[in-house]
Amino acid sequence: MSDVIGIVNYGITGNIHSIKKAIIKAGGDVLIIDEPSNFDNVDKIVLPGVGSFKNAMKELKSDGFIEKLENFNKPILGICLGMQILSRIGFEYGENKGINLINAEVKPVLCNGKVPHVGFNSIKVTADNKLLFGLDNKEFYFMHSYEVINYTNIISLTEYSGHKFVSAINKNNIYGVQFHPEKSREAGISLFKNFIEL
Amino acid sequence: MKVRIIAKLDVKPPFVVKPVHFEGLRKVGIPTELAKKYYKQGADELLYIDIVASLYRREILFDEIEVTANELFIPFTVGGGVKTIDDFSKLFHCGADKVVINTFAVQEDPDIINRAAEIFGNQAVVVNIEAKKWDDHWECYTDCGRIQSGKNVLEWVEEVESRGAGEIVLQSVDTDGRQRGFDVTLAKKVVDAVNIPVIIASGAGSLEDIKTLIQEAKPSGVAIAGLLHYNKITIADIKKYLTEHGIEVSQ
Repeated sequence: MSDVIGIVNYGITGNIHSIKKAIIKAGGDVLIIDEPSNFDNVDKIVLPGVGSFKNAMKELKSDGFIEKLENFNKPILGICLGMQILSRIGFEYGENKGINLINAEVKPVLCNGKVPHVGFNSIKVTADNKLLFGLDNKEFYFMHSYEVINYTNIISLTEYSGHKFVSAINKNNIYGVQFHPEKSREAGISLFKNFIEL
Repeated sequence: MKVRIIAKLDVKPPFVVKPVHFEGLRKVGIPTELAKKYYKQGADELLYIDIVASLYRREILFDEIEVTANELFIPFTVGGGVKTIDDFSKLFHCGADKVVINTFAVQEDPDIINRAAEIFGNQAVVVNIEAKKWDDHWECYTDCGRIQSGKNVLEWVEEVESRGAGEIVLQSVDTDGRQRGFDVTLAKKVVDAVNIPVIIASGAGSLEDIKTLIQEAKPSGVAIAGLLHYNKITIADIKKYLTEHGIEVSQ
């Protein structure tokens, strides 16, 4: 019996549909987490993110998911905004506290290129890591206006318009990717396979 | 930055159609089949627009969208007839990654861009523009180029950016469906006017047209419909050609 991957379903903003089918394609079993008690029935968590930092935190709070995420000691994978809200603080639509599992701040992408940074871009793996095993220099789909700013726990960097930013993080059981593996063709499916096998 | 090559499906459910000059529709396929085909060819993204939802003032057909999304592991941008925050939400739940708005924002309530951006994030809110050239300016049209809005395209693109739109899809009523090249002048003006990504549609008739557009206007992406639908070329052909001409694309 393979691990059950829980996808946190919160608010009116989530696109969990595409993450679910990517995990299934990668060979995982999926349970959609609609209420706090569902956390007890899964082996790993994917925290998606479409929406703004402020709104996502509001929705997670009102659904009673924050405490469950704080205390979940098995692997968690935050995707895009789902990675950003693992940080201590975010500055999208005002200053908002994050879940604070990673000591990082979330700030606007500042560079000469167009923002949001949208499209396929490659990642440079900077630290040996099971999640990104075999994925150095692969292309993933990015779609974001904000970036995670931290100096530790970095596992990959990506360059956009001469600006290097953090594209993946890992600290203990916590993982985060700024890109969308569910939208990144075969490379994304490989990442989910790695996550399933953690 | 790698230029995105985007396959565009203009849908009049249950068919993908090819509008010619925004008038006269030819059926060219079924959304799910074409979506799958272009995904396999290496499209960086799929743009799905229900081109009659707004015109007929009817609901968006969510089932069609959900079935199409099932085949894809690339970004899926969806629009047509979007009027409310609830429409945005439903489309995201059907598998859309970004939602396109045009008619309602330009004709009735531009503030929906602000509200949607605050809830869903800027990157998920895309504004579609149907531009028509007049003597000395371009005007925004809606409903497949049928209805005037009185809004100047170059003013409107700045407004939608300041309201929080994360991306612009620029179509040209004049060049759409003719396969005689893009309105490069307009494309360049719009790309230069805003700091958000701009996707250019309408007019690809050859590989050279696409290259010229990218070199001269430097858009973030190019949306292709007719050339692909009629099997004149594939996405892979486009990427190979652009790479050979020194333009970076994803592989």
